Amino acid sequence: MNSLDRLIKEKLQRDIQAKTRRHFIKDCVAGMGGLALGSLFMGCNSFVGDNKKGKIALTERDINPLASMAPPFPAKVKSVIYLHMAGAPSQLEMFDYKPTLQKLNNQACPQSLLEGKKFAFIRGVPKLLGPQAEFKQHGESGNWVSNFLPHFSKVVDEVAFLKAVNTDQFNHGPAQLFMHTGSPRLGRPSIGSWVTYGLGSENQNLPGFVVLTSGGKTPDAGKSVWGSGFLPSVYQGVQCRSKGDPVLYIEDPKGISRNLKKSTIDAINNINKKEFNEYSDPEILARINQYEMAYRMQTAVPEVMNINNEPEHIKEMYGVKPGKESFANNCLLARKLVEDGVRFVQLFDWGWDSHGTGHDTAVDLGLRNKCTEIDRPMSALLLDLKQRGLLDETLIVWGGEFGRTPMQENREGQEMAYKGRDHHGDAFTMWMAGGGIKKGASHGLTDEIGFSALEGQVSVHDVHATILHLLGFDHEQFTYDFQGRPFRLTDVEGHVIHDILA
Amino acid sequence: MEVIQQLIGRLHPLVVHLPIGFIITGLLLQWYDRKNHEWSKIITMVFLWGFISATIASVSGYLLYKGEGYSFDTVKYHLWFGIATAIFSLLMYFRLLPPTKMDFIKRMPVVLMSFLLLFLISFTGHLGGNITHGSDYLLEPLPNNIKTFLGLGPELYEMPTLDEENWEEAELYTDVIQPILNNKCVSCHNAKKEKGQLQLEEENGILKGGENGAIIETNDPENSSLYSRLILPLEHEDHMPPKDKTQLTQDEIAVIKAWIAHSNPFDKKIGELGLKKNLFQAFFPKAEDQTYPDVEVAKIAKDTISALKKIGLHVEPISENNNFIKVSCINKPTFSDSDFDLLLPIKDQIVSLDLGETQISDAIFEKLGSLPHLTFLKLDNSDITGRNIESLEGLEYLKSINLVGTNFQETHLPKLKKFKTLQTVYLYNTPIQKPQKVEKRKPGELFFDYGGYDLPAIATDSIVY
Repeated sequence: MNSLDRLIKEKLQRDIQAKTRRHFIKDCVAGMGGLALGSLFMGCNSFVGDNKKGKIALTERDINPLASMAPPFPAKVKSVIYLHMAGAPSQLEMFDYKPTLQKLNNQACPQSLLEGKKFAFIRGVPKLLGPQAEFKQHGESGNWVSNFLPHFSKVVDEVAFLKAVNTDQFNHGPAQLFMHTGSPRLGRPSIGSWVTYGLGSENQNLPGFVVLTSGGKTPDAGKSVWGSGFLPSVYQGVQCRSKGDPVLYIEDPKGISRNLKKSTIDAINNINKKEFNEYSDPEILARINQYEMAYRMQTAVPEVMNINNEPEHIKEMYGVKPGKESFANNCLLARKLVEDGVRFVQLFDWGWDSHGTGHDTAVDLGLRNKCTEIDRPMSALLLDLKQRGLLDETLIVWGGEFGRTPMQENREGQEMAYKGRDHHGDAFTMWMAGGGIKKGASHGLTDEIGFSALEGQVSVHDVHATILHLLGFDHEQFTYDFQGRPFRLTDVEGHVIHDILA
Repeated sequence: MEVIQQLIGRLHPLVVHLPIGFIITGLLLQWYDRKNHEWSKIITMVFLWGFISATIASVSGYLLYKGEGYSFDTVKYHLWFGIATAIFSLLMYFRLLPPTKMDFIKRMPVVLMSFLLLFLISFTGHLGGNITHGSDYLLEPLPNNIKTFLGLGPELYEMPTLDEENWEEAELYTDVIQPILNNKCVSCHNAKKEKGQLQLEEENGILKGGENGAIIETNDPENSSLYSRLILPLEHEDHMPPKDKTQLTQDEIAVIKAWIAHSNPFDKKIGELGLKKNLFQAFFPKAEDQTYPDVEVAKIAKDTISALKKIGLHVEPISENNNFIKVSCINKPTFSDSDFDLLLPIKDQIVSLDLGETQISDAIFEKLGSLPHLTFLKLDNSDITGRNIESLEGLEYLKSINLVGTNFQETHLPKLKKFKTLQTVYLYNTPIQKPQKVEKRKPGELFFDYGGYDLPAIATDSIVY
């Protein structure tokens, strides 16, 4: 302890040296006024911290920024699992059945559709490409699902489809940002951050917002799609890995025992408590709390992230591959996390950008393999949540950042060896399932070739408004003040999509 | 001659301030001099001048009324009170004069006369102000809620509501547009007030427009100021309603836009215009949320909640302004039967209780029976077997029990069928055998969810294309 005492003493001396009389007077001009004002406001809050100068008023959030809070309105769900197929899956091979497009296969696209449109790769006049999958109506709802998703077609009555979602972005990065932060440009908080900011986290041993990725790459837009933007950074998504250590740098270093770790953290916290007694800065309490949470997470996270202890039949239902990074593992983890009270679980699966530049990105080959990869896990996730009574209090959202064209891609104006489709944001399919969702509903209709919406068009903002609505927020009232104005996830737009609500 | 009359009349707003000044000066001096009585002569003179100037003001006022064509009804009280002010100034003058023969005046108490004059001069002035500036000029800047409190607020109109079944039969203008205008615009744009020379009370006023001309360009909402001013930034000078007034909601703005875009008809039904139901979603009465009991319970003090949180329980109202509470032991796996008593202070408020993965035993059921409004109950992954579960039969609102992963015994299952409001029981991973054939869920009936779902392997599972 000798060296520690020396260290503290030295720090105090440095602090004093750094202060001159001028500094003091300069600092005090606003500071003294602020102090006086601060004391006037004392007692406004419910939480009162004690220190040697008396009581100071603190909110629960000052001490623990993840403390859970009641939503403004009674919520339908308390958690969200968002399944994002990064790269944009083709709605025309999965959910949006267009028999007319089949008939028009290989015919030149009418000029009227191309006018005023921008495509990422299509040049000149492309040819229409019929659906590469076989479609059937399934379940009591009679919703169409293709034979690329044989398992999902059995649970189709649990979900509600949005057949005409619209985005104004046609490149992956901006479109993903738009889909997750409500703005195609950097700097806004992601949905998960908004939600953890607004509701906090129920489980005090786990992060409130967890991100899991699969498919070999993270989304094109980078980690900003789960970033906290202008919200305090404590609300950003915590990326966990299904392979290796779930969270990097959380293991104790070699040779450091758990007890030693605990006493280290206790020592740091004691110093911080002294500091708090001196300066009464609530940030110090928040820091103390975060050390303690990190310590608790060290045991809680590996436990929840371990899928080996799950019974065999559950592993089979999801089709997990222990020890590997896979969408199936992530789906099972998502269930475990939600079961343990995590607020927002964000799954990204990479590899859906079916341009037809090769085998893996052909809509009849690579896409079908991607579908097989997610079909069983996402259907299992629905069923597993259901049998545990969790589907009523969880919202599952599935979608990409945009959809794909009914035209075959003709990169550089050339005919391509594999069948692919270009980016297309005018009308694509998403689905939602869980608490408050009208089971078996289908909202929105696209034209005969699936190019534009005929009715029921919804925007990305509408999707956000609906997610927030189910969590108990009015998206128009849920704001955060930044740079002199209140910001919303839905900016100045967005309507709750009542047609898919129970 | 008429010109001179008119001229004198128009001097009224100037002249009226003289009697106000003199009389107030007189009254102030009276008060100042109430003990020493040294200034009597001066005060007497002041009231004489008060009388003279009040008389001139009355005459000029009368000429103004004649010359400017005010109706007698508008000015009558002001006129009579003005004349009364002049007369009482004169009486005050006589009262203060050294003793004379007019004994009856001497008997009048000076203080009473002073107060009467104060009242007369203030009230006459106020009435005059009302004539020139309008009767709500003075209190208009007050915030709306204070005005409402004083009973002066804008008339409160009912929000338009549409019927879930007959919404297409409703008239767009009469049943939706005009009520919106009544709520948010008419308090300034009415026949009496007519700000910007615009009236939005009825069809003619709307079509006539205001000082900048028409406010509707048929079929072109962007160029119709009735719509375009609504969507200007709040800070913009031309934004309507003004920043400090109640704003239109997005849904209301959208409906106004649609109305203009559909040729702003005054007699068409919503159905005839082919408008989508989505547009009117906000105007349907909110479906009663029947998730939680329709009962009022007392609000729990924050301190009580904080105390429960301190011992590791997750305790939260179900929403900000709701007194019902949900409790979860997610952070307190050591919760046992004996800990239940901690919840007694909030027993009326608990609607959702999660005791999953805790140390509870069958003894908990008797205690749970004392939570009158319990709606959602989770006992999953605990050691309960279901003995005594009949103690919950009396709970009038219980909808769902989660028994997943417990040791719940089949013998107790029939007891649950007697529960009146129970809808779902989750039985996955219990010793209970899933029946060969599970009946489909019927709305409003008790459903046992045995779980054990699976996705049988199919040939395509392993095919790689």
